[in-house]
Amino acid sequence: MKEIMAIVRMKKTGATKKALVATGVAGFTAVKVIGRGKLVTDTDELEKCREKLLALGLDEVSDAGDTETLVTSFLDGSRFFPRRLFTILAHDEDVPRIIEAITTANRTDYGIGDGTIFVLPVADAVRVRTGEAGEAAIW
Amino acid sequence: MLLIRAIVRPEKKDEVLAGLSEAGFNAATMVDVVGRGKQKGIKIGGMVYDEIPKILILVVIPDGEKEKVVKVILSTARSRNEGAFGDGKIFVSPVEEAYTISKNALGL
Repeated sequence: MKEIMAIVRMKKTGATKKALVATGVAGFTAVKVIGRGKLVTDTDELEKCREKLLALGLDEVSDAGDTETLVTSFLDGSRFFPRRLFTILAHDEDVPRIIEAITTANRTDYGIGDGTIFVLPVADAVRVRTGEAGEAAIW
Repeated sequence: MLLIRAIVRPEKKDEVLAGLSEAGFNAATMVDVVGRGKQKGIKIGGMVYDEIPKILILVVIPDGEKEKVVKVILSTARSRNEGAFGDGKIFVSPVEEAYTISKNALGL
């Protein structure tokens, strides 16, 4: 019995839900969270992100100087971004399948910021309605 | 790997996150939560408040770094020097695997 914690982009919530249902997951919980990832030190990668962000045309909604500082604050790693945290309970043998489904649904061209999946052991689970425990409580 | 769940005061969150970032653990996830502790909330006048707002910080770290991270959180989340009721808790659970989606690979 395993608990899968997946942190994904807000916009990918629907795609992740669809992918999970298609994989045959019985149930899951989703929470709004904010988070940040590890520091990106690759300057080429950062420069690419900066160009993409500047090309979005933020100048229309803010002054030119503001855009610079905004983009810099996006890329220096200290800012928290909204993400969706999925919690899924699964049988041991289903874990690779679910991870595969979440990964394919969530990969984007942006790369950085696509999210992370953690797999945690679960000691026990009990279904409240029937009282059945252990593996039977998942599905 | 280990998952550190730290429940801290909302006003201490920036200090804790700055401390973690300085110690080399920039990645973190936060959720707003409400909760109560051993003291069963706070009693002010006749009212008992047992849904006290806190911030839940989730950090996943490599195995050997537990002491360092716990020390950082303990020193930054404590109010005043001696600490006070309501400063929060730290829970540590094992993580078996971590995948980075963008790299489609195992590892933090």
